Amino acid sequence: MIRRGSLGLRLLGLAALWVVLALVGAGIALTDLFRNHVEAELSRHMELHLDEVTAALARQPDGTLAPVRALTDPRFNRPLSGLYWQVSDGGEALARSRSLWDQSLPMAGPVADDGAVHRRGVATGPDGARLLVWERRVHLPDGGAPLDVAVASQGGSVEAATGSFARALALSLGILALGLLAAAVAQVRLGLVPLDRLRQALGEMRAGRVARVVGAFPSEVQPLVDDLNQVLDDNAEMVERARTQAGNLAHALKTPLAVITNSVAALGNADSARVIAAETDRMRSQIDRHLTRARAAAMARGAGLRTPIGPLVAGLARTIARLHPDRPLDIRVSGDDALLFRGEGQDLQEMVGNLMENAAKWCAGSIRVTLSAAGEKALSITVADDGPGIPDDRRDTVLARGIRLDEAMPGSGLGLAIVDDLARLYGGGLELGQDEALGGLAARLVLPRA
Amino acid sequence: MRLLIAEDDPELRRQLREALEAAHYAVDCAPDGEEAAFLGETEPYDAVVLDLGLPRRDGLSVLRGWRGQGRTMPVLILTARGTWQEKVEGMDAGADDYLAKPFRMEELLARLRALIRRAGGQAAAELTCGPVSLDTRTGRVSVSGRPVTLTAHELRVLSYLMHHRGRVVSRTELTEHVYAQDFDRDSNTIEVFIGRLRRKLGVDVIHTERGLGYRLDAAP
Repeated sequence: MIRRGSLGLRLLGLAALWVVLALVGAGIALTDLFRNHVEAELSRHMELHLDEVTAALARQPDGTLAPVRALTDPRFNRPLSGLYWQVSDGGEALARSRSLWDQSLPMAGPVADDGAVHRRGVATGPDGARLLVWERRVHLPDGGAPLDVAVASQGGSVEAATGSFARALALSLGILALGLLAAAVAQVRLGLVPLDRLRQALGEMRAGRVARVVGAFPSEVQPLVDDLNQVLDDNAEMVERARTQAGNLAHALKTPLAVITNSVAALGNADSARVIAAETDRMRSQIDRHLTRARAAAMARGAGLRTPIGPLVAGLARTIARLHPDRPLDIRVSGDDALLFRGEGQDLQEMVGNLMENAAKWCAGSIRVTLSAAGEKALSITVADDGPGIPDDRRDTVLARGIRLDEAMPGSGLGLAIVDDLARLYGGGLELGQDEALGGLAARLVLPRA
Repeated sequence: MRLLIAEDDPELRRQLREALEAAHYAVDCAPDGEEAAFLGETEPYDAVVLDLGLPRRDGLSVLRGWRGQGRTMPVLILTARGTWQEKVEGMDAGADDYLAKPFRMEELLARLRALIRRAGGQAAAELTCGPVSLDTRTGRVSVSGRPVTLTAHELRVLSYLMHHRGRVVSRTELTEHVYAQDFDRDSNTIEVFIGRLRRKLGVDVIHTERGLGYRLDAAP
């Protein structure tokens, strides 16, 4: 359903783009938020540690500094635990946690004496790990020199927490993205259903099952459908009008021709009378031929029609039998009479009628009409008779006359040539051969099938 | 034999009338569909030449009207509409023959003769009754091979009787089939024609059925 350059692909591509952009943005923002939160939490903890260390500090009688109470977090006593404290006088470390072992936190110079906690970005810890340091200058109540108290924590914990959060987040956002894309596919499919219906309706019309595009479509498409139907209606009306006019022209010309023909007959056998008679005959066949062709050309290119061939052939058989009441004709129609001709009934009647009339003219009494499918896209109608047939070498001549109008012989009528013309207009053809069973001419008409 | 011509083109109508009268038919003409329908419903024609493209009422509908009312006279459609679709339509509407314009008058005459013959149940083009024979193609009458010259009216009377051999034909029926509509009819003249026919033929083939009409023997 979704092809290259299709609306569906376009909509899906856009949906995928915005889903990815939105989710990546959300992921970045959420991770950032999480990191800030973790860091803030860490800061709060570290400030508490700092307060605790400060409160526990007391100057020993020997002048050294040491916490007088055990600190709550045991990590301060575990060597290289990642949580450290240190007291300095701005340069020299005066006391430090057991966890620092024999190392000390690198000093960055005296801390501003404003009573606030200062966070120092990064320092290198005793085991080479990255450290985050919080420090504050304090004045002990014994009135000694101000001290810089620092607590430090391994920075990796923030990165680790953020990393694992980001991984979990990426997984859930990925699932969300897949869900959204699936929803987008469903939306595009459902949204484009009317277009699919339109395509089917157009296919129906093209196949000739309907004359117009039928069905109600969304307001975005309906104007297009209405316009198309209008064009189709106009076209049909134009063709119909052209046909009526062609019919009127035929009528308007043929009655005077009949008058001329009969007047000439009254002149007797003079040369001029023969010439006029021959010319009027020629005019008649030209009128018939060109009007038939013009009409067929208009129809063959028009919107597809389909005509059941069975009833038409039956009607022709009935009519031809009635037109020859003095010669009882045995006309038998066999084969698949449910076949549909992709074209106009009148043209089919013209082709088959001429073939059957020709057969009736030459046959000894039997005519066989066989209807059959010739593959998926074509059908064949074979009219065979038990007459003398046409010799091999003359069959081409009979049809060739149909191609070159200027060679149409006076009085030759339309016959097989116009049948060939019409069949070609429909993309089919006429083949002449000998019928094996009856021995006479077998005219095989191949036409498009609906 | 009496015919109706339904044709709107005045010139063609004139030619048809002349040609058919020359062939010894009594001819009525209708220039439009309404009049044709009326004449066909009220007059007993032996055949009708019907154009399809008639003004006021289409020829096909006129024909269907006649057949719907049980009028069975042979109808030959003479039309400029020569497609097979129209032929099928015309024949299905009840026509007996179909001739497309332009046409040759001889062909029309031949087909009309055939229609009239078949309607009377006759197969051969030459009708015979005893020593009398009538060639429907030429209108020539002979008795035992000797040609007999008849007037148009005499020929129509004989022709009608020969087409309906073996059946009693009333004087009124004869009148209806011998005169065109606008002719001043007098059924007494039929007796005059019969008298002249008997005299000219010189053989007694026309039997008078008292109070009923006339009859020709069925056996040839």
